[in-house]
Amino acid sequence: MPREIALGDALVPGLLLLFVVSLALLWLIDWLAGRFGLYRMVWHPPVFRLALFVCVFGGLALLLL
Amino acid sequence: MSVNAAAIATPNSRTVVLDTLRDETGVWLFVFKTLLAFYLTGWLAMRFSLAQPSTAMLTVIIVANRQSGMVLAKSFYRAIGTLAGAVAAFVIVGLFPQQRELFLLALSLWIGLCAGGATLYRNFKSYAFVLGGYTAAIIALPVINHPPAVFDSAVARISEVLLALIVSGAVNDVVLPSRMRDVLRRTARAQFAHFIGFVQGSTGGSIPRDVMENAHLRFVRDAVTLEDLRSSVIFEDAEARARSGHLQLFNQRFMAASTSFQSLHHLINRLQRNGQTASAKAIIELYGPIGAALDAPIEAGAAAAILLPRLIAARKTMATRAPQLRHSLTGPNAVRDFDTGASLLLRFSEELHAYVESAASLQAPRLLLRSPERVNFERGNDFASAGLAVFRTTLTMLVLGFFWIDSAWPTGASAMLIATIFAGLFATAPDPVRATRSVLLGYAIGMSAGFFCVFFVLTRMDGYGLLVAGTAPFLMVGLMALMRPLIASYGLGYCMGFAYILAVKNPMVFDPSSFLNDVIAQLIGLSSAAIAFIVVPPAIGSHWLRRRQLERLRRQVTLAAEAPLAGLRQRFESVNHDLFSQVVAQTAPGSADSRALIAWALAVHETGGALIALRQDRLTHRMPAEVDQCIALAINALARFYERPDSAGYARTRDAVSNAIDRASAEPSARPLLDHLHLIRLALLDGESAIADYMPETPAAQELTHAS
Repeated sequence: MPREIALGDALVPGLLLLFVVSLALLWLIDWLAGRFGLYRMVWHPPVFRLALFVCVFGGLALLLL
Repeated sequence: MSVNAAAIATPNSRTVVLDTLRDETGVWLFVFKTLLAFYLTGWLAMRFSLAQPSTAMLTVIIVANRQSGMVLAKSFYRAIGTLAGAVAAFVIVGLFPQQRELFLLALSLWIGLCAGGATLYRNFKSYAFVLGGYTAAIIALPVINHPPAVFDSAVARISEVLLALIVSGAVNDVVLPSRMRDVLRRTARAQFAHFIGFVQGSTGGSIPRDVMENAHLRFVRDAVTLEDLRSSVIFEDAEARARSGHLQLFNQRFMAASTSFQSLHHLINRLQRNGQTASAKAIIELYGPIGAALDAPIEAGAAAAILLPRLIAARKTMATRAPQLRHSLTGPNAVRDFDTGASLLLRFSEELHAYVESAASLQAPRLLLRSPERVNFERGNDFASAGLAVFRTTLTMLVLGFFWIDSAWPTGASAMLIATIFAGLFATAPDPVRATRSVLLGYAIGMSAGFFCVFFVLTRMDGYGLLVAGTAPFLMVGLMALMRPLIASYGLGYCMGFAYILAVKNPMVFDPSSFLNDVIAQLIGLSSAAIAFIVVPPAIGSHWLRRRQLERLRRQVTLAAEAPLAGLRQRFESVNHDLFSQVVAQTAPGSADSRALIAWALAVHETGGALIALRQDRLTHRMPAEVDQCIALAINALARFYERPDSAGYARTRDAVSNAIDRASAEPSARPLLDHLHLIRLALLDGESAIADYMPETPAAQELTHAS
């Protein structure tokens, strides 16, 4: 994946796009977890969510390498 | 004995200390979290070498709140507003890169429209509008002399603001969050327990009018509070978000059930007043099983589900008891009154069952996968007062802008910016002049503290750690003030003034003359916002707006009579509740204005509810065109009367309704509609209601006896 992507002639960092994609992914996971009450099995849901986001974003960012 | 009494009267000093500490812990937690987010944002902004770390830091102060859900909700809307404002700035600069007059005109109009939009929404949605205007200004104004730089300016501002939002959202969500979810749960429980308790307690008979008025106030406040809380809590809790639809349904059913409940009690009261005690007693007796069914320990936190089978059993008992009671009555009028009451009671018991059912499904640990029907809580907005806000803000911006151009004032942009923020932020406040004045004072104090901090403290400091150490004590003062309700607006001004004037940069610039110029521009901008609120006073709380709200409230009956039926009941109920709660919030309790409004609200609520039920039944029951025509005439007359109440209209409406009743009673297929018509008629003839003023001096004697 290229490091910079031209969107309408403006160069956008690929990292930013991945950030948006991982936000969307996290939103989906969050929705599913809320729907089925999965957060009840987690000690501290916000920390879990933040950690999950870091994992998702970090994993996706490896695509840039 | 006396020793014991003294020990009870003066609380244990240990508990006093503990209580104070518990209160103070919350405040200090807020201060600590905000400082953490503030400095983390500043540090990150410098690491990313963003142009103005101070914009990001100011954003943290603006979204700071004690409740995590509030911060997240505010951040969400702020992000939307920022993006919209950036697009607007882009378009405006693109359209008028060379003409400063047209540029300022377009910008002022955009800011004015945003301020007007803000008055149309409650909660933080209005905030998105304010920020839309403000962001357009902070992006476009600095590049006014160099339009090609607008793209970079937009990217820089968006990155700064979004960085601040992400950091403060994460900090508030992760570090010792204070949750509103529990408040929401408590509120919903209290609403349920109070309503069930009230229904159960009033099965014995009539309720005095002032108790009814207070109960109505409480019901409305409960419904609106729940809706407000729900709209913030969905941001902090995934489970609350998944249940949001259920919660809305629960609230709608609460409003429906409480409306029918009140209609029923107004009916019983009227019958008793008119001497029809036999039928009133029969209705009360029919009502008994519901009270018995609700007599269960709900306060102890038992699930609402245990009430469901009991309510079904109560309905069966009522169905078997109704024919006997009807038989015991003599005279056609008494039987007709009883029929009206019985059908109302049936409707109420169905709605109560639906309400308890949705409460039970909310309490269930696992969500049913069935998605609830979509319901919306609609608001009653006044477009004229929004227009006033548009006019005021645009005017302020234009005056400041032309002063800026004419005087070639170097820091004019800074003055315009600050005026934008406050003209928008306080457009929805009940007393904006006082609020702006205290913010102005706080702002001045904050900037003086900033002066001291920048030129006497920071000049001796080096490195980020020492910057934090040098500025934190100053900021703490303001954050503490923000938590004290009495001086909160001074605190807001202090924090914003301090964070703005600090203008942390990397490397830091120390320039007293531009610092002082900026201070003067800020104060002028803020004062011009305050002056604008004096010159073009806000509509909120004025006599003019109250009259408009009253008209709007009455027109709700027209809405009930004429709007398309799909979803009308929910629309009617939610707009009614919203309008009513606005009115209650803006009038002094117990004043003549407030009493008149409450009286009208009760009349509108009852008549509108009956009208909607009548129109729904009219669709499902076929009847001769002639009878149908008479009913349509009566509905129309009611709509006209509530639109413009006068004595002639009253007489016309009364005759139209009684005519419709006469025709309908001769027609067996129109039987179910008769109950609704009769209810409307009784409400029309009520001598204690708001419409009593329009009744003729001597009511036709046969009218009264005929009606009751």
